[in-house]
Amino acid sequence: MARIRIDGDDLVVVIEGLDKLWAFKSSLTIPLANVRGATADPGITTDPKGIRAPGSRVPGVITAGTFHQDGETVFWDVKDPSKAVVIELADEKYARLVLQVDDPRATVALVENSLA
Amino acid sequence: MGRPRAFDEDEAVRAAVGLFGGRAYDGVSVDDLVSHLGVHRNSLYKTFGSKRGLYLIALRRHLADDVRPLLDDLAGASDAASALRLVTSADLGLLLLAAIERAPVDEEVASEVTAALAAVDQAIADALGVPADLATALTAAALGILLRGNPDHAATALAQHLGPLT
Repeated sequence: MARIRIDGDDLVVVIEGLDKLWAFKSSLTIPLANVRGATADPGITTDPKGIRAPGSRVPGVITAGTFHQDGETVFWDVKDPSKAVVIELADEKYARLVLQVDDPRATVALVENSLA
Repeated sequence: MGRPRAFDEDEAVRAAVGLFGGRAYDGVSVDDLVSHLGVHRNSLYKTFGSKRGLYLIALRRHLADDVRPLLDDLAGASDAASALRLVTSADLGLLLLAAIERAPVDEEVASEVTAALAAVDQAIADALGVPADLATALTAAALGILLRGNPDHAATALAQHLGPLT
């Protein structure tokens, strides 16, 4: 589970609970200028995710950590696919973040409304 | 990273106009977009940033492809009846859905919708030589008739009742 907030000109992602162990990360700070958008996307969890390193993937239970696919690096932290949100980035280590959040609709609105 | 896009962006946007115009924004999932646009999920995100990013591009495409020609046609309208007929027979599906569904919650959509409707008002005002507020009323009536499924004779009855406007 991730908590997402806007802090000044940054998007701050805090990985909560034990997920931060599986994900090998506790938080990410991304300048909003490098955030291209957010989308609620339950279906993304059924797509191939590529090669994981570092992090954990127990199929059907948790997908957390850094995945590499088609030359892209994607950060995952999802247990419940119905609450998955995709945040697309530019000029960052990660091409996109796939995060489980409490309220996908509210998170998408928060992020999209904070983009110029 | 620098890989060529393996899909026709123009075609994908046009397909998105059809999807969003037919099923509304909330009725279209990313899975729907992936299966109907012929675009891989990762390419979709890389190209458009988000579902909303694609929606805004699709809305602008709809305005250019479907509303713009209506404005050109309206320039040739000689009376209220023909203006009403042109608007009620136009393909305005995505514009109407956007006005109802997205404009109240999305400022960018709201400004696109407002500008598009104002352009229709203006085209009618210019073609018929009527005041702006009367043109707005005609647009509103025409959109209402369109929303009602263009019931027989409604536009004709209105135009007949109005008579010559100038």
